[in-house]
Amino acid sequence: MTATSTAPAATDQAMAEFDRTTSRWGRATMIAGLLVSLAGPLYLVFAGGLDIAPAQLWIAFAAVAATFGIIWIVEPLTYYPILGPAAMYQAFMIGNISNKLLPAALIAQTNIGAKPGTRRGQLASVVAICGAAAVHLASLAVFVGLLGSWLISVIPPAAMNVTRLYVLPAVLGAVLVQAIVSMKQPRTTVIALAVAAAVVFLVLPAVPGLAMVSTAIAVLGTVLLAWFFRSRQPASEARPAQPVHLE
Amino acid sequence: MHTPMAPNGSADILAIANAPVLWLCVAGVFGVIVVQSLIFLRAVRRAAPSVQMTPGDIRTSFRSGAVSAIGPSLAVALVAIALLALFGAPAVLSRIGLIGSAAYDVSAAGIAAGTLGAKLGDESYTQSVFAVAFFAMSIGGAMWMIATLILTPLLRRGDAKVRAINPAAMAVVPAAALIGAFACLGFTELPKSGTHVVTFAVSAAVMALSLLLAKTLGKSWLREWGLGMSIVAALGAALLASGS
Repeated sequence: MTATSTAPAATDQAMAEFDRTTSRWGRATMIAGLLVSLAGPLYLVFAGGLDIAPAQLWIAFAAVAATFGIIWIVEPLTYYPILGPAAMYQAFMIGNISNKLLPAALIAQTNIGAKPGTRRGQLASVVAICGAAAVHLASLAVFVGLLGSWLISVIPPAAMNVTRLYVLPAVLGAVLVQAIVSMKQPRTTVIALAVAAAVVFLVLPAVPGLAMVSTAIAVLGTVLLAWFFRSRQPASEARPAQPVHLE
Repeated sequence: MHTPMAPNGSADILAIANAPVLWLCVAGVFGVIVVQSLIFLRAVRRAAPSVQMTPGDIRTSFRSGAVSAIGPSLAVALVAIALLALFGAPAVLSRIGLIGSAAYDVSAAGIAAGTLGAKLGDESYTQSVFAVAFFAMSIGGAMWMIATLILTPLLRRGDAKVRAINPAAMAVVPAAALIGAFACLGFTELPKSGTHVVTFAVSAAVMALSLLLAKTLGKSWLREWGLGMSIVAALGAALLASGS
């Protein structure tokens, strides 16, 4: 936060007040969102009469953590310089940061002639994210909550069945291509594809017991090999880190 | 490793996925975001005059943010609709309403189901498997918020330890982790059946085409709608290929 040298003390005081309010309430609302989002699944697991052992939950969580643990930490780190502290609490609660919130913030800043990184720019992005959140919630409520529930009731069971069975490959094919294109790292891509293919087509058929941890093995193997074989150009020529585009 | 669970082996997911309590939680999630937006807007309004930001500027910013979010929001809604059959409306709304994305949530659910020896969508996908998958994607989503809650104050103070992270590592490690994860998850689908292969290939091809056209024609909406179009095309191909 660098103030312009001519900024009067009143500006600093007002912005300090803004920082205090948004950090305090940003934290409080994010913790509330976190708890509410966990309440649903916890209710199903413990009060849904489904007889699920806690160990099964821990194993499932561990498998997810082994795959996405790195991203959980790296993503907030890469977005902080772009978003600033106040918008962090909004962005990581609403999601779809790269494809929705960042463009919204950028367009708002352009439209009122505020530069990114300035205090005016910071306030503009917070307001723009509020506007984007309003549209996001409204469209989810109408198109998914109402229209989607109706759609589910009229879709023929055969089509429902096909959707259920094949939605995973239907999502992953596109997501893999998207990840490869947006990361722009040919070397890492080749290593990742080779490691994943080796794990799925060689290791798993030989040792089926590893099915549970196969993704974790692929992630760890890719990270280690990509690091070992990284291009060692001088820092000035190296490509700047691309923000991770999962959220 | 684990045998699919015998009790509550009902595969009627939507019976529990639409439980009233879950709808209540969705309302709570939406409510928290609304409250946060109102508090932040008020804070902006107080601070705005000190940086020469007029009420008109605030209105323009809000409107710009809202209008630019219409396209991406509809694109996300299309993806969410495709996931309804698998997770039910409350889980889809609360996962995508709060931090989450189709890529992460579907992957996490698939991984969680795998730890129970089950596959999403077929007869091994019971109510219990759904509950564990929903739990795993929710707590995984919560980890992003926990990381944000811990890291944001550190970064604000310009914590030296966080800043000292090797930039080369920041460039290589996340890309390697993401591509490695999605490549492995995607390839795991291939040996399941020929239809899985067709579905995966069509989805990948439509996305590649959308991104290529987005770049050559300069149409960024193709990038936004890429995932939705890929999923719809791939499911259409699956419907044809499976002959149902």
